[in-house]
Amino acid sequence: MNPRLPALLNDLFLFAMMLVMAEILTFAMILQYRGGEIPCPLCLLQRVAMFGVCFGIILHFRDGASARNDGISMVFALLLLIVSARQTLLDIYPRPGHDYIGSAIFGIHMPVWSVIIAVAILLAYTVKFAVLGGENLRDDESPELMSRAQSWLIYYVIALCAINFVSVILQCGMGACHTMGYKLL
Amino acid sequence: MMTVIFATLLLAFVAGRFGPRWLAVSFVLACLALSIGLFLYEIYSPEYGFRMPWLQVRHGLPAFGGNTSGVLA
Repeated sequence: MNPRLPALLNDLFLFAMMLVMAEILTFAMILQYRGGEIPCPLCLLQRVAMFGVCFGIILHFRDGASARNDGISMVFALLLLIVSARQTLLDIYPRPGHDYIGSAIFGIHMPVWSVIIAVAILLAYTVKFAVLGGENLRDDESPELMSRAQSWLIYYVIALCAINFVSVILQCGMGACHTMGYKLL
Repeated sequence: MMTVIFATLLLAFVAGRFGPRWLAVSFVLACLALSIGLFLYEIYSPEYGFRMPWLQVRHGLPAFGGNTSGVLA
């Protein structure tokens, strides 16, 4: 087997994971601004957790393979699981003022999707460790096309984070966030 | 508070791309700590604390006919 193959597969795996995260976060922004669905505070914390998963991957692309970078991503995946599970339990029993926020996609509401996403991330990391292990994953020379795609994706995620930051300022100002409207609009 | 969380997150990303690693990790750890604090603040209820009394698992057990005293105890 080519000794560089595990490192390449690891890079491809993390690139695919960050791409999926970027798609989910982009879809959330589309739902917010085209669908008019203003996110609740726990929804915003779930976005933070998804960005945190991306942060660990960005450090991997910058500094090379390290269990530390994977650890950062997994900590934020765990945060995503805890926040979304708690929000699911908050709204699981119908009572006044506690409906699921936002529209259902394939019959599943956003916090339940977040639980599925968090479990999928953690499962993906366990499969990665089981299949690729922790050795021979450091590769100093990524293929040119791969490096360019990684750079493009990193800038895209940073831009998404900046858009979210501005959006949060508009929605919450420096105070508490509400789903009734934008505080500064 | 949410604005501060996103500000530290954005700073972590910028430092992660252009700055030293220790600065990026410091910002992301600050973001994580603030997120946990806000999460605990958001789910705390003056009435219920952190409990979720609307989840009643002790009632409505189906009539099995078997001994359920261990469950109900």
